[in-house]
Amino acid sequence: MRFILVDTIHELDPGKRIKASKTLPANEELFRDHFPGFSVVPGVLLTEMMAQAAGRCLDAEGTHPGRAMLGKINGASFREWVKPDQEIMLHATITQNRPAFATADCFAEVVGKKVCSAELFFVFAPHEQFASDYQDEILNAYWKIHPDMQPKRTR
Amino acid sequence: MTQIEALQWIAKVFEASPDQLTPDTHRDNVPAWDSLGVLTLMASLDSDLGIVLTDDDVQAVKTVGDILDVIRRNGKLT
Repeated sequence: MRFILVDTIHELDPGKRIKASKTLPANEELFRDHFPGFSVVPGVLLTEMMAQAAGRCLDAEGTHPGRAMLGKINGASFREWVKPDQEIMLHATITQNRPAFATADCFAEVVGKKVCSAELFFVFAPHEQFASDYQDEILNAYWKIHPDMQPKRTR
Repeated sequence: MTQIEALQWIAKVFEASPDQLTPDTHRDNVPAWDSLGVLTLMASLDSDLGIVLTDDDVQAVKTVGDILDVIRRNGKLT
């Protein structure tokens, strides 16, 4: 399993809000253990999905000194079981956006029903720490469809 | 807020017990007052009290009393 937990970005206002989605297929190996006979998407992965969506919203802006990295999880709650093959809609609104940190109110929903939420805190890891040819394929796919939405500084 | 309420608020920010903190408590003696803790303090001051710290403010804050002074200077401490 790759650790790209966003399939598609549907709506994006860089640095402000994002709507994205992820579906975990039933043949993912993790469902053999989580749990036998009762497959559910782990809450930790739901949290990571929200974090990856919110992080991409911040990275899309291109104004921070590095890539957004999850620093803290505040008040996460999980209200409903999420099953394999269900499309999970991920929503994040950036509530604080400063050079050194950012916060985001996030939630996920399935078929219009909220399944989890969390307030996430982000710090920024310097670009130099990543592979020089590192590209975000999910963001790039969005920019390809919406080239006019891409901030010039990130092109 | 009163000083007692402010100490409770600071304790919450640093995930500490309020009775562990006094104005003389140095950041070295608060385990969660690390680099992430500094950013958490900045975010919480902004979101909870409407106080935006400058870089100079951040460098100067070394004790709980320094945080109380920041809150006081911004008119949030009675």
